[in-house]
Amino acid sequence: MRILIVNLRHLYQRRGLWLAYTIFGLLALWSLALAFDSTGLFMVLVPMQLIFGLCMASLAIEILTKPFSYCLPGHRAVLRKFILSLGAATSFVDSLLFLAYPNLYWGQWALVTCSAFCASLIMYWIGVALAFGLRNSGSGLAVAVWLLLGATFFDLHIVAERTIIIYPFVIVLLGLACSVMVWIWLGNPNWARRLCASPRVGIFDIWNRDKLLEFKRRREAVRCDRSKYNLDPWVERFFVRRMNRCNHLGPGRYIWGGLYTTYGMALSRWKEILSWLLWTLAIVVFLSYLEHGETDILFLMAGVMVTHMPLPIHSSMMISGGRSERFVTAIILAGTITVLVSAALISVAILSVALAPIMPEITVRGELLTFHTTSLRLLIVPSIIIPIVLAFRLIIYRKPFTTFAAVAVLFTLVFVLGFGSPKRIGALINPVSLVSLLILSWLVLVIVLRHICMRRSLVGQSKTY
Amino acid sequence: MNDANPIVRMQGLRKWFGGTDALRDVDLDIHAGSIIGLLGANGAGKSTLLRHIIGLYLPNKGKCVTFGCEAGKLGPAQLGRIGYVHQEGELLEWMKVGQLIRYVSTYYPNWNHQLEEKYIADYDISMGARVGSLSPGQRQRLAILLAIGFEPEMLILDEPASTLDPVARGRFLDLLLQLIQNENRTIIISSHILSDVEKIIDHVVIMRAGRILRDCSFDELKEEFHCVRISALSGDLPAELPFENVIQHQRSNGQAVITVRNTTPEQIEETAEDMNCEVEIQTLPLEEIYKIVVS
Repeated sequence: MRILIVNLRHLYQRRGLWLAYTIFGLLALWSLALAFDSTGLFMVLVPMQLIFGLCMASLAIEILTKPFSYCLPGHRAVLRKFILSLGAATSFVDSLLFLAYPNLYWGQWALVTCSAFCASLIMYWIGVALAFGLRNSGSGLAVAVWLLLGATFFDLHIVAERTIIIYPFVIVLLGLACSVMVWIWLGNPNWARRLCASPRVGIFDIWNRDKLLEFKRRREAVRCDRSKYNLDPWVERFFVRRMNRCNHLGPGRYIWGGLYTTYGMALSRWKEILSWLLWTLAIVVFLSYLEHGETDILFLMAGVMVTHMPLPIHSSMMISGGRSERFVTAIILAGTITVLVSAALISVAILSVALAPIMPEITVRGELLTFHTTSLRLLIVPSIIIPIVLAFRLIIYRKPFTTFAAVAVLFTLVFVLGFGSPKRIGALINPVSLVSLLILSWLVLVIVLRHICMRRSLVGQSKTY
Repeated sequence: MNDANPIVRMQGLRKWFGGTDALRDVDLDIHAGSIIGLLGANGAGKSTLLRHIIGLYLPNKGKCVTFGCEAGKLGPAQLGRIGYVHQEGELLEWMKVGQLIRYVSTYYPNWNHQLEEKYIADYDISMGARVGSLSPGQRQRLAILLAIGFEPEMLILDEPASTLDPVARGRFLDLLLQLIQNENRTIIISSHILSDVEKIIDHVVIMRAGRILRDCSFDELKEEFHCVRISALSGDLPAELPFENVIQHQRSNGQAVITVRNTTPEQIEETAEDMNCEVEIQTLPLEEIYKIVVS
């Protein structure tokens, strides 16, 4: 019991969890306030158990990956107790909301509450399974969020709520069966051996740049032996020849070197890039059928994409280029990134125009949806957004996830405001304002780059940064 | 060998990160042809100091000038003369070893391909392996090749041998000994393996808490400290030994072992003669000297 309690202390020692508690608390209050509205709000905490299970399992896994924990007496046995006790406690709290469900008699209330408890547990176990199954819980979190959003979009939460009410015995049996299975699965004594010192990224590591780099390096080492993604010889020849043609004291050699290291692997993996573009096209087709033709979001998403493309300023790898060479190379790279992203968006827009005559009208839940072509009126927007995002990324280069999260939140707000007040946003979209914003955003990037390249440390104090 | 003008000059260098002073008022001149051992505990500021030389860090106060150019303005003309190895330095993980060598060698017009081939053969480096799949020791060997392949005028080695096995470390030392045959080559080596370092250095810089405690030639440092074993020619040793500048003192089995500072062997022998004792004078290994200096 003592070991379990010591592990439960992580729940308040881990400050990252306080944010999760705040969000869950707000959600609980919100759903309680609107509990008598029959739009499935009783369910709001149940699916959140997916994320909670992911977090709690991630917490437990993090400790198991640390070599010191391997020899801790009694620690392995506490894994499933820790996870189950948290799942049971939070599922119990979630199920209490169903006590407020209207028009049920006493016996039904008890049954429905048990059913809700088991449904919460099922979601919790799915989250736990995701955490154990995926080496990167951060991607698991993204999957979970998308799953929940998708389910909400298709009103699956209403379906789930009705299932809990109408078929409680089924849910209870399912919940008990899942719990027994997971209890046995987590009791496998090999978990400690499998997880000890294995490269993993937990939910709380997505803020940690060093950890992410270390994970990437160790996964590369494991993956590379069977990896079919190698730098193509023609790519190497192309760039090295161009580097050799430039004067070794001029910036040209470093610019070509920067292009090589940034795009070399992508050019070698052109098939993968092509399949990614096809996925993007599929998403565009989906968005094109939405009521307002929400393909405009693509132009904003260009900024989010670029958060994963850092400029090669902060590198401790020694080549003969100095700070000026890094600055010039970074400007050129920022320009090429903007051109390539804009070219990709233009291609998508042209494709949508080409597809428009052949795309059928479809009916979803009695509503007729027509295909809207992607408008190019916001084409200049990526050229405005990308420099700002790159500059932001440079300023907080040690916390890439913070950049990603901040940019995603900001663009969501812009998107929402755009739909909330399209006239106001429409008034801003005129040639003068766009050109001014374009010049301003590139000026900001140049100033930030210049400052960082010429005046700041290029590496941090930690291992590589 | 040593030019009048240092190739690296640091004056009043101060560097802080947040609330932590990493370097405090560092003054250091590095002359061409020196083989410098940069010693200090973890967190003493060694890596910080070395990174100023190549311009990765810029000082908050003071100045660092390398090859006549301030740290912030170093360009290909200066950096093309410096090789730098850091034990956990970044490499391009997605490239194969051969591709990485070709990429880096493109930046240096004086890349020595014969040296590259010899090194690859001696260190058994697999050209087809992906950099990301290399063990720490293999990565370190590759990093060393990338630093020495163009025969730099100044070679900065920050914990270069920490991940090498003893055989590889021995070969690395032999390589360094070959490199220092070029009288104009400057090497700065920061390492905790002092037994290796003392075989090659001729100058010592000892740091602690961001400050330089000692900056002198290795011979001078060795001559400063002596370990003296004293045994009486007849009877017991006197209770008080009249040697000057004793910093450590141990007695056992009728013998005494003392460590003295700033006392010449002649002075020690004279004192021993007066005491009617026999003395055996030895120089201290670098590790012992280092412990005394930093304590």
